[in-house]
Amino acid sequence: MDILNEHYCQMNRRHFLSKLSLGVGSAALGSLLGCTANSASLPENDPLNGILNSTHFLPKAKRVIYLFQSGGPSQMDLFDYKPMLKKMQGQDLPESVRNGQRLTGMTAGQSSFPLASSIFDFKQRGQSGAWVSDLMPHVAEIADELCFVKSMHTEAINHDPAITFFQTGSQQPGRPSMGSWLSYGLGSDNKNLPNFIVLLSRGAQRPQPIYSRLWGNGFLPSLHQGVQFRSGKDPVLYLNNPDGITSTSRRKVLDHLAHLNQIRMDDFGDPEIQSRISQYEMAYRMQTSVPDAMDLSEEPDEVFDLYGPDSRKPGTYAANCLLARRLAERDVKFIQLYHLGWDQHSDLPRDISLQSRDTDQASAALIKDLKRRGLLEDTLVVWGGEFGRTNYSQGTLTEDNYGRDHHPRCFTIWMAGGGIKSGITYGETDEFSYNIVKDPVHVHDFQATMLYLLGIDHEKFTFKHQGRRYRLTDVSGHVVKDIIA
Amino acid sequence: MKLRRKILLSGILLISLGAYFLFFFSWKQEEVDFSTEIKPLLNKHCITCHGGVKKNGKFSVLFRHEAMDTTESGKPAIIPGDADHSELIHRITSNDPEERMPSEGEPLSKEEIQLLKDWIDQGAKWGEHWAYKKPEKLSPPDVETLAASTSADQETSWIKNDIDKFILEKLNEESLQPSAEADRATLIRRVSFDLIGLPPSPEDVKAFESDNSPEAYEKVVDKLLASPHYGERWASMWMDLARYADTRGYEKDSYRNIWKYRDWLINAFNHDMPFDQFTIEQLAGDLLPNPSPELYVATAFHRNTMNNDEGGTDNEEFRVAEVIDRVNTTWEVWQGTTFSCIQCHSHPYDPFTHDEYYKFFAFFNNTRDEDTFTESPNYKEFSSEDEEKVDDIKNWITHHGSAKENKEKAEEIARFIHITEPKVHPHNFDSLTNGTHADTKFLVVYPGGFCRLKDFNLTGKTRLLISFGWALPNGTIEIRKESTEGELIAKIPLSDNTKGVLAYDLKKEEGEHNLYFVFKNKHAEPTKGVCSINWMVFTEPLAGSGEAGFEKIQQTYLDLLNTEGNPTPIMFENKPDFHRNTYVFSRGNWLVRDKQVEPDVPATLGGLPADAPKNRLGLAHWIVSEENPLTARVTVNRFWEQLFGKGLVETLEDFGSQGETPSHPELLDWLAWQFMHENDWSMKALLKQMVMSATYRQSSEVSLALLETDPANRLLARGPRFRLNAEQIRDQVLAVSGLLSDKMYGESVMPLQPNGVWQVVYSGESWNTSQGEDQYRRAVYTYWRRTSPYPSMVSFDAPSREFCTTRRVSTNTPLQALVTLNDPVYFEAAQQLASNMLTTSDNLDEQLKAGYKRVLFREISDNKLEELKILYNEVKQYYRDNPEAIQEVLSDPASFFENTDEKEDENGGMEQKIDREEQKVRQKEKIPCDQDDCYQLAALTVAANTLLNLDEFITKE
Repeated sequence: MDILNEHYCQMNRRHFLSKLSLGVGSAALGSLLGCTANSASLPENDPLNGILNSTHFLPKAKRVIYLFQSGGPSQMDLFDYKPMLKKMQGQDLPESVRNGQRLTGMTAGQSSFPLASSIFDFKQRGQSGAWVSDLMPHVAEIADELCFVKSMHTEAINHDPAITFFQTGSQQPGRPSMGSWLSYGLGSDNKNLPNFIVLLSRGAQRPQPIYSRLWGNGFLPSLHQGVQFRSGKDPVLYLNNPDGITSTSRRKVLDHLAHLNQIRMDDFGDPEIQSRISQYEMAYRMQTSVPDAMDLSEEPDEVFDLYGPDSRKPGTYAANCLLARRLAERDVKFIQLYHLGWDQHSDLPRDISLQSRDTDQASAALIKDLKRRGLLEDTLVVWGGEFGRTNYSQGTLTEDNYGRDHHPRCFTIWMAGGGIKSGITYGETDEFSYNIVKDPVHVHDFQATMLYLLGIDHEKFTFKHQGRRYRLTDVSGHVVKDIIA
Repeated sequence: MKLRRKILLSGILLISLGAYFLFFFSWKQEEVDFSTEIKPLLNKHCITCHGGVKKNGKFSVLFRHEAMDTTESGKPAIIPGDADHSELIHRITSNDPEERMPSEGEPLSKEEIQLLKDWIDQGAKWGEHWAYKKPEKLSPPDVETLAASTSADQETSWIKNDIDKFILEKLNEESLQPSAEADRATLIRRVSFDLIGLPPSPEDVKAFESDNSPEAYEKVVDKLLASPHYGERWASMWMDLARYADTRGYEKDSYRNIWKYRDWLINAFNHDMPFDQFTIEQLAGDLLPNPSPELYVATAFHRNTMNNDEGGTDNEEFRVAEVIDRVNTTWEVWQGTTFSCIQCHSHPYDPFTHDEYYKFFAFFNNTRDEDTFTESPNYKEFSSEDEEKVDDIKNWITHHGSAKENKEKAEEIARFIHITEPKVHPHNFDSLTNGTHADTKFLVVYPGGFCRLKDFNLTGKTRLLISFGWALPNGTIEIRKESTEGELIAKIPLSDNTKGVLAYDLKKEEGEHNLYFVFKNKHAEPTKGVCSINWMVFTEPLAGSGEAGFEKIQQTYLDLLNTEGNPTPIMFENKPDFHRNTYVFSRGNWLVRDKQVEPDVPATLGGLPADAPKNRLGLAHWIVSEENPLTARVTVNRFWEQLFGKGLVETLEDFGSQGETPSHPELLDWLAWQFMHENDWSMKALLKQMVMSATYRQSSEVSLALLETDPANRLLARGPRFRLNAEQIRDQVLAVSGLLSDKMYGESVMPLQPNGVWQVVYSGESWNTSQGEDQYRRAVYTYWRRTSPYPSMVSFDAPSREFCTTRRVSTNTPLQALVTLNDPVYFEAAQQLASNMLTTSDNLDEQLKAGYKRVLFREISDNKLEELKILYNEVKQYYRDNPEAIQEVLSDPASFFENTDEKEDENGGMEQKIDREEQKVRQKEKIPCDQDDCYQLAALTVAANTLLNLDEFITKE
């Protein structure tokens, strides 16, 4: 593209970002000017074209699989090995360590805060020597593929605000989810599937609820909202034709409907009619492409073996991980899994074992599977929850039982692929896994980094709403350059 | 390469800026105008670093006094009358990159610099943003002058009312002609959707088409304005602003019983309550003298804020969040201003300061609600029998005790029975020792434990009401003064029967005391709570103690307090004892308090009237005062947007200097002035004015040329054409198929919804499809769950209503196509429509014509009829070949949901467990057809399904 043209594209993009433009006008203009569209296969005026005609940086990742572990997995029982806690087992959390941290109403009234060491054994794994407890034997095997961030921290202490913060950059509901931002900015690479897909699963114990606002579009156009794929017969709401309407008769309806709408278009001249015709076509394509993506029957046994026996049961975390790979193969931009049930206020040893059993093998399998298919290099995989857990016991601490309350000041997540360094551990917590002592990573830093990997400058990617420019990272966030390959 | 690019870039910039200024200067008057010429420059180049957020170099251009003030360098940056010595000019013209402003970004153009120079030389006059000056009375453009400026006479004869004069003037400027009136079928459909949210009936269309009188259209409009469905349509709109929902919003998102507010809205609109009254009642109905139940229910407007029941949350944190939401919503709805910007710092662009946020916050900071699970204060509506009991008590009060003949006192007691405030909640106690707030909701103290109520004023309070959850037998609560060993003022025995609201006597005390509640039970295990308390109220005793009949009346009183009734969350102002001080939150953080502030409105918009009380009532009066420059403009603009698709100010939510400027400023001001002064805030009069205009009645057909000149139809040379909203799409399909119920009011209903949409994990609530006609009610009555709104409405851009939504962004997506093609609700409508088509005639052409006419009210064109016939024949052939599909296509589409999830819970998936028996609420009769016409009906159903998916059907044309 020549310089002048590129300039126009940039101007157009800037114009778009600086003016309140809810429609598709500028995106369409961008295409008319011949800017590099992310999805050449889409018609020029299709809103599924991203509004960023070109990314700010060279993207390292094309898509994201986010394995959200809802409820707040305990960092001290999984990855953040703390021998000091064993030494001080049962002693009160020193006030110098707690240092005024706000507690939730669950433990605020507790008269003592007895330190509780993990009852699980830890080992260093692989070449990198990352610490992983025995709860996660399969993840331990792939430790060298992963980047552990031990210094994540957040601002919220209750589930709803904390998950909302992670997914939208604000504790208050109403902002667009990460996946919506990416769909809005980068557009779609597959015109036959939604751009932002959500898969849910839950653990054995009664979990915290989850809500559709987490994949909501906030103030962005609703076509960027996440579409939940369900495990039943109707994977997307209203996807199936009514009884007695076959694909053949549906095709006839759509053909004639298109003609009828075209007649109106010719008479009336409203270009929205043209757009409606193409949306009906996309709906029709989805009727085939969604079941095709969801159909695991052609997967060989060795794949099910890799993901574990649960992967044959629709709706499980393992089955969802396998689906995530299939969606990544189909170039879906943002694949969001939620696995519920990590909120272990009591009976942690028993419950975290069950959660780990449900998620360990499939999480590791997904990394292996993506890698051998050459997808890992441009797919960013993230594993993590909304906050960590306390080093002291909620409720009575006994020799083999304890619970842990929410803890915002430090927790561990891991990432892999998509331009992330492999085989490293970033950040450090104190001997109590209570405070961060090195390289803190705030939720907004994580978001800024994720956007960076996808080629987006988080400070420049904004949407003007109610007279203010909003961004995923609100008013803060720094790209964590040290974890980028 | 890089350099070349830079040169090219600046070249292009210069050229484009040059063109801009060429245009600019062609109409610029001699005096530089601050609002239109200088403010945009300051906003663009300076204010990010020198404004409400940052004041680099101690220089800010947000207010004049700041801009003229001494900066860090010790001298002012702007010297009025002397541009040459003004530092600002020096800095923007400097060649030194260290000095030159803006420090980042392109330098200002010559023309921009000249403008700033001229402005300073002319005295650096500050001006007010247009929206902060109150609209003046002005006359519409003169018809004679208009006629002179147009080439054709018919244009002025096109004018129907004053609105058209403004529109025509602008069209003339752009050399555009208005469009002719839409055909009658299209016009009545449009105005019907706009005024009542429903399509017209075929009879109404026929009547209109055959009415040759000049008032034919006005008759239609008047009839629609008088329709009870008018209120339903406009309540729907207002509910987005009020963030109305049937649930609380956070986490498990449990039920909120607030539908009486929705019914209040419908009523208010139907009775054309003037907008000023409508405003005052919603913001401060509880503060009006002797408030009626309706006035309390009106205040539920601001009780639609989200409430967090999640275990472990701090009620104060979420109470503050609710107050913040009330502040932001009030500004967004009535003032079209994003006030939330100044929650953390002064406004980046508009003249509002950080402190002013909290002064405004103070108006809302003294209601009794505290994010508790009871959602109190509630106004309990009683059954008529119970209401009679309330009358008995009132009667007693007026005849007994010292308050004898005191009607006011009787009313006060009656209100207390309905509202029972001020409650003391578990979290209001401190020093909780050996006890807990169970699930952060209930006060549960173990044997020997205690808690304290600090500095509590006991004057006049000798009765204590306690709401118990449960109690162990043989326990006691001792209430002691000043310490756990202090003087006993009440001893409350507990037993198995201690539950619900119970009343106890307190020793008479004066003034404030620390009250210690000591919980004892010798028989209970130390880890078992003595009892569980929901709330308590300190109050006065009923009058007439000891007199005959007192015991009975006292029991009636207690019975009523224990009657659940139909409670609606309301606003209820704190009594002085419960007064909260308001502080500025440093950088918006509620945990970091800065200086204390008193209620007030921003200085820029003129202060509160001198005689106005400094509370919500005073505030409400200020909002609807004729001095307020924003309220009327924002409101008429909102109604305009509902009819025309775009507001005269496109940014409905931002009338500030960063918002869009009005397309027709004089029209906006004229409408606002009329609304306040001529129409006395009547919303029906305002709407009538708009829909009677020729502008509104234009055909929405668009030529390629016009599409190019004015793609967004800002100039209104054609009528509005846009997709119907979520509620209208549902209501329409039920209406044209004859399924729509016209039942009004009442609890929200649950129409058909796919299984498993509600991911209810432990709230114990489920979607139980409503029975009978309740499945076919208008969308305004659909149960609105914030974390999982009705899916087909979400597809059509309905918001979740977690927060105030001023503008729905209309999108066009494949998921919408799936809804209208496949949702059983829509398919059932297709079946019903087909069945109606079949009975109209034996002739296929007639059946198809009738179907088209039923949904769009006009005759089908030959080419469309031909298209439908081909479809029909193809499909009929298909059913001839596949007769087994006929019964399927004619079966109850609801059954489609019943076998959706076969093995849901076994597989650990998220599907909701369905009680199958419960779900089979629909015992619909099969649509009757004999062998012969069954395949006709099947093919017609497919044709009807197609009709209901036409673009022209889901669009307001």
